[in-house]
Amino acid sequence: MINNIETYLYIAVFLFAIGLYGVLARRSLIAVLISVELMLNAAMINFMAFNRFLAPHPAVGQICALFIMAVAAAEAAIGLSIIVAIYRKMKTINVEHATELRG
Amino acid sequence: MKFMMDLFSAEGMATLSFLGVVGLTFIGALIAVGARNIFHNVLGLALALFGVAGLFVYLNSPFVAMMEILIYVGAICIAICFAIMLSEPLYLPKPPRKPIKLLGAGLASGLIFAMLGLLMKKTTWVAAPERSTDWSITTLGHFLLTKYALIFEVISLVLLVAMLGAIVTARDGRGET
Amino acid sequence: MSAWFSDLTLLGCFLCMVLPIASFGLIMIFTRNNHKLSLAISLLCSTIPLIIAWSLLYKYWDIAEPIVYNYDWILSDFIKIPFGFLLDPTSLLMLTIVATISWLVQIYSIGYMEGDPGFGNYYAFLSLFALSMLGVSISSGLLQLYICWELVGVSSYLLIGFWYEKFSASEAGKKAFVVTRFGDVGFFMGLAILTIFYGNLEIANINSAAVAQSMPPWLISTAALLIFCGVMGKSAQFPLHVWLPDAMEGPTPVSALLHSATMVAAGVFLIARIYPFFSASPEAMAVALAIGTITLLLSSTIGMVATDIKQVWAYSTVSQLGFMIMGLAAGSYFAGYFHLTTHAGFKALLFLCSGVFIHHFGTNDFFVMAAKGGRKLIIPMVTITIAALALSGIFPFSGFFSKEAILGALYHHPNKIWFLMGLLGAFLTAYYTFRVIFVMLFPKNPAPEEQHGHDEPHEEHYGVPWVMSIPLLVLATFTLILGFCQGYLERFLLGHTLHHEHNYLLLVSAVVAALSGIGLAWIDWGSKKAKCVGFISYVPALENFFKEKWYMDHFWRWFLNVFIYGTFSRLFTYNDRRVVDGGVDTVAFSTIGSGRLLSFFQTALLQLNLLFMVVVVAGVGLYLLIGR
Repeated sequence: MINNIETYLYIAVFLFAIGLYGVLARRSLIAVLISVELMLNAAMINFMAFNRFLAPHPAVGQICALFIMAVAAAEAAIGLSIIVAIYRKMKTINVEHATELRG
Repeated sequence: MKFMMDLFSAEGMATLSFLGVVGLTFIGALIAVGARNIFHNVLGLALALFGVAGLFVYLNSPFVAMMEILIYVGAICIAICFAIMLSEPLYLPKPPRKPIKLLGAGLASGLIFAMLGLLMKKTTWVAAPERSTDWSITTLGHFLLTKYALIFEVISLVLLVAMLGAIVTARDGRGET
Repeated sequence: MSAWFSDLTLLGCFLCMVLPIASFGLIMIFTRNNHKLSLAISLLCSTIPLIIAWSLLYKYWDIAEPIVYNYDWILSDFIKIPFGFLLDPTSLLMLTIVATISWLVQIYSIGYMEGDPGFGNYYAFLSLFALSMLGVSISSGLLQLYICWELVGVSSYLLIGFWYEKFSASEAGKKAFVVTRFGDVGFFMGLAILTIFYGNLEIANINSAAVAQSMPPWLISTAALLIFCGVMGKSAQFPLHVWLPDAMEGPTPVSALLHSATMVAAGVFLIARIYPFFSASPEAMAVALAIGTITLLLSSTIGMVATDIKQVWAYSTVSQLGFMIMGLAAGSYFAGYFHLTTHAGFKALLFLCSGVFIHHFGTNDFFVMAAKGGRKLIIPMVTITIAALALSGIFPFSGFFSKEAILGALYHHPNKIWFLMGLLGAFLTAYYTFRVIFVMLFPKNPAPEEQHGHDEPHEEHYGVPWVMSIPLLVLATFTLILGFCQGYLERFLLGHTLHHEHNYLLLVSAVVAALSGIGLAWIDWGSKKAKCVGFISYVPALENFFKEKWYMDHFWRWFLNVFIYGTFSRLFTYNDRRVVDGGVDTVAFSTIGSGRLLSFFQTALLQLNLLFMVVVVAGVGLYLLIGR
């Protein structure tokens, strides 16, 4: 039951869907960022699962996972700094209020 | 009682703890998305990340699991906490949720879920014919510094640039009001 | 690369091209504010080509086969456009002339341009000019020659308009550039015809008999006539001669360089360069002969009434160029080219001498110079007289030999009218030349005494800086000895000595024409009882006609007004305003409009946008998965 790729992939897809729901539904930019982290983790689980069950060499998927982590860290740093900057400028982090570019 | 007995066998324990880890992940994820208090969201994220780390242990790579905890829980969650503290105060009243928006989001994510699930179901997963069994961290390190040295360097560069970018973006503008 | 250095000839040619452009670049970019350094660079980069040119001339004195270094720039189907160097007697002689004259002018300019704020720029332009002329002389392909030819135009524009603060100077520069450009359009079309119908632009190949076999005669004539348009522009032939007299606005050494010895000679050189091609077309030769004759007479008559010394020499240049073209077109390659050589020497000398007078007296009017005591400048006065004698064609100066060669060529032309015209031209040339000389040698109304008292210290100072007088003496020497080199030059250029049948009628008529011209000038201007009015003033209408330069400037002004400004310009303006501007405006307005329209979709609801995106992706994915 455990030792089978589809279990992991379903877990990943579920996590991804939850993250997507968060991205689409939440109004706080920080919450959106949190949801994005969840989606990234889903992708990471995918890589690890493929690595465990399919890949010719077990190092490759791990390296991919590590890179995703690094990118996530970079993304978080940039995203958070942008959020802070937005808050400083607009006094809110509600994404629905960020309407300066409305046509 | 057979089920209970199975449950307490070694394999049964493994299954049980696996279910526990998965449950931890899902519960954490649901809290991270669903709770109204932003701080609870972060805690839920941390919980989900612990769960994912557990999954990685089941996937034979304790090293990545450790990294997951170190980087995600240890760094990113803390950074998000800082961002929360630097932005909107928590005591402000929150506007009520709009059901239509939640419905739309749920629908869209449900669609994606359905699509990806279907995709997974329809695909037959074929393992590589020859598979190495070398899971050691030493090999990982070797790979990082030989075959994947370029991406390793590039990712370092990305991190550096991200750091600089974050500093530039987040700080007060020079002399601006 | 090693081949470049093992072959000294190739290296020499290469240096001739590289050094001047290097000098131009260095001066313009780095040192133009440092006058001494600029001068040093420029002199270095003109002395080495000078040495190279003379040593090449010496080395290949007995050259039998032309030396060609070709690099094929474009090879496409039958089209072949080479870049490289072609060394044969024609190019070697021109190379030497150009290198020598430009070197002498650079030396002379040390004195003439001293203290000018644009000293550095001036030398940079001179270097550019040297580059382009050297390039014209040793190019191996016509396209390369054309590029250098245009560079000549550019550098002449820069040099003529050198004192660009002066309105007339900048206008003259523009005029020279545009008028020569006007002719170059024809040249370019000629090249295009050659490329399209013949394909090979290599000079050695164009001169071979292969052209006549692969192109119909009418096409050869068209190409030759179109190329001759370029010659008319550059060599100031009628009706494109109008730029040359105006071009005297530049510094006098520049006039000597550009408008006597090198730039205008480029046109004549071009004919000499592709002479076998030209002579394959009798029509082109006939047109060239007619144009040369008209130019000769027209400019001689204008020269008779001009009062600006440089104007006189300018018109004499135009007339001598016409003379050269007549010689070439009459079928004697040697006569035209020989006259080009001797003319380069004595005309540069004339200009440089005039430069001394102009520099000294600060006026261009030779009547004023004469009144101020021009003849007290001994060296320039002697050398200018030598040059004038050469220009008039008096034995033993170089002009005598070359003029006699041209008149000989004209004499052998079946139509004797050209010979008579040539004689008339020689007569007029002698007349207007000695008009200047006699006026300056025997001033009739010396300067009033109070002027003497006014600038007494200046009056005593009649010395000429050695940097200015040395080139004069060198050129005067050339003028004296070059005529006796005729035989050598013939052997060099043609490979054999011409058979000279001593035609005394020819000789006598030439000498008589020149002497009678001088004599008339003596009666009109020289002798004690001279009335100091030209014989032409007895026919006031004609004199007026000449003074107005045959109304050529008026014609061109009218032509510009009616055709260029009135027709093309207005048409193009309309096109520009309505089609080009209108098109751009339409594009811009439609972009703004469509942007405004599309901006309604930009609702600033990020999550809604994302929602739609996700739904679409999921929908498409599902469709593909289920539909299969």
